Amino acid sequence: MADVARDEESTEFFDGTARGELMVKQCSACGHHLRPDSISCSKCYGNELLWTRASGRGTLVSWIVVHGAEQEPPVVGLVELDEGPWLHARLVDVDTATLAVGDAFVVDFEPAGEERIPIFRPA
Amino acid sequence: MGKVYGRTAAEFAADAVRLAVDDAGLTLDQVDGLLVNPGLSGGLGIGLAAALGLYDLPLLSVVNAYGSSASAMVQIAMFAIAAGHASTVACVFADATLQPKSRTGAAYGSIGGARRRLTGIRGLGAAAGLGGAPSTYALAARRHMAKYGTDDDQFAAVAVTTRDWAADNPFAQLRDPITVDDHHKSRWIAEPFRLLDCCLVSNGGVAVVVTSGERARDLRQPPAYIWGWGQCHPGYVMERGCEWGLSTGAVKSGRDAFARAGIGPADIDVAEIYDCFTFTVIVSLEDYGFCEKGEGGPYVASGVLGRDGALPTNTGGGELSAYYMWGMTPLSEGVIQTRGQGGGRQVDRHDLVLVSGNGGTLEHHGTLVLGAHPKGA
Repeated sequence: MADVARDEESTEFFDGTARGELMVKQCSACGHHLRPDSISCSKCYGNELLWTRASGRGTLVSWIVVHGAEQEPPVVGLVELDEGPWLHARLVDVDTATLAVGDAFVVDFEPAGEERIPIFRPA
Repeated sequence: MGKVYGRTAAEFAADAVRLAVDDAGLTLDQVDGLLVNPGLSGGLGIGLAAALGLYDLPLLSVVNAYGSSASAMVQIAMFAIAAGHASTVACVFADATLQPKSRTGAAYGSIGGARRRLTGIRGLGAAAGLGGAPSTYALAARRHMAKYGTDDDQFAAVAVTTRDWAADNPFAQLRDPITVDDHHKSRWIAEPFRLLDCCLVSNGGVAVVVTSGERARDLRQPPAYIWGWGQCHPGYVMERGCEWGLSTGAVKSGRDAFARAGIGPADIDVAEIYDCFTFTVIVSLEDYGFCEKGEGGPYVASGVLGRDGALPTNTGGGELSAYYMWGMTPLSEGVIQTRGQGGGRQVDRHDLVLVSGNGGTLEHHGTLVLGAHPKGA
């Protein structure tokens, strides 16, 4: 996988992946869970968002197989975390012949340069 | 337009504005507004005004709402003219992102040989393997397929019909007929999309001139009258309950445009729908109300979009087969059809033409309803 570097906004996220934890944001006003790149609450417009650990479990919203860039075309999924936010991530240990929207997945982590990034495998 | 090299986006834009102004029977000194939608290659901006010798303009701006920019520019021009702020506004898109002997995907930065370094949360998608627009649209399409049963044969129907239209467009880059089998045998780009599900990448420029109906009446060309307009930028939040991939901003943009025109989808004679991918046509037609939600696949497969169909669509070959000038592809063909100047591809009945722009990954929508006659006349 291509290397990923942290920036100021993603320090807590990559500290989390290094520990083997998937961090998302949560609105301090209403408790709504948000994608890790959120800067405003999608439910209440609150702007005080705190990092929180997600369960790492989710279900598949959609998936594709990307050809042309890598020797073994990767399966990339859009996963809905049990907490609600969607993440784009590589899917591993999947059979595309039977893969289906709604399938249950669980997070794992893989190195991408100096950082580790989330991937998902069947739960 | 097409695989044209050795000219910059600014040069293409200048050419396009000159040609459009001349086509209208105007001269550059009669233009008092310029809206510029640059593509990706850079170097094109509001400096175009001075480069063209347009001085003391009351209206000059870059507009960028991606693939909905063309319809957005026309709407901004129309508002300025209706307010008495300007009288004649040129709207232009140009790009020169394609390089000789390089892959189309590389032109949009989606596929590179070099190992890339990505940054922050936003780098995670690309790190996972997402490769630009074909990947994100393919994700949207899969959602639609899973929920509504939309399939590969229906995608192919769009590709084949659009190519058939391109045969009679001298500007089209790809004019040789294709079959459903050709579609199915074309290489995978991002499953469920094959090569023939994806639009072209083109160099070039397109401009349109917007002025009042009163003024247009006496100019060189038959005017395309703006009957209706709309925009919708849904602002999808990618989280539980999001409709992304299943429906688009065309729902609201279309409803507003039809309401302003005082018509409904059944009144449209010709549709020019942003077709960055075959799937985009299917979901857009549903959202405009030409068929029920989820029925877009069977609808396009019924032959409705073709020469003998009830809704001739993308009659110039669209972005899939003719040229990719963002929202100027559907807009320019919409103007040609409204004027009745489509030559071998001209649709007999062209009183009302729908023009649909779409940008981001189904994230920005702009709609125009063009009429061959003034509204109410």
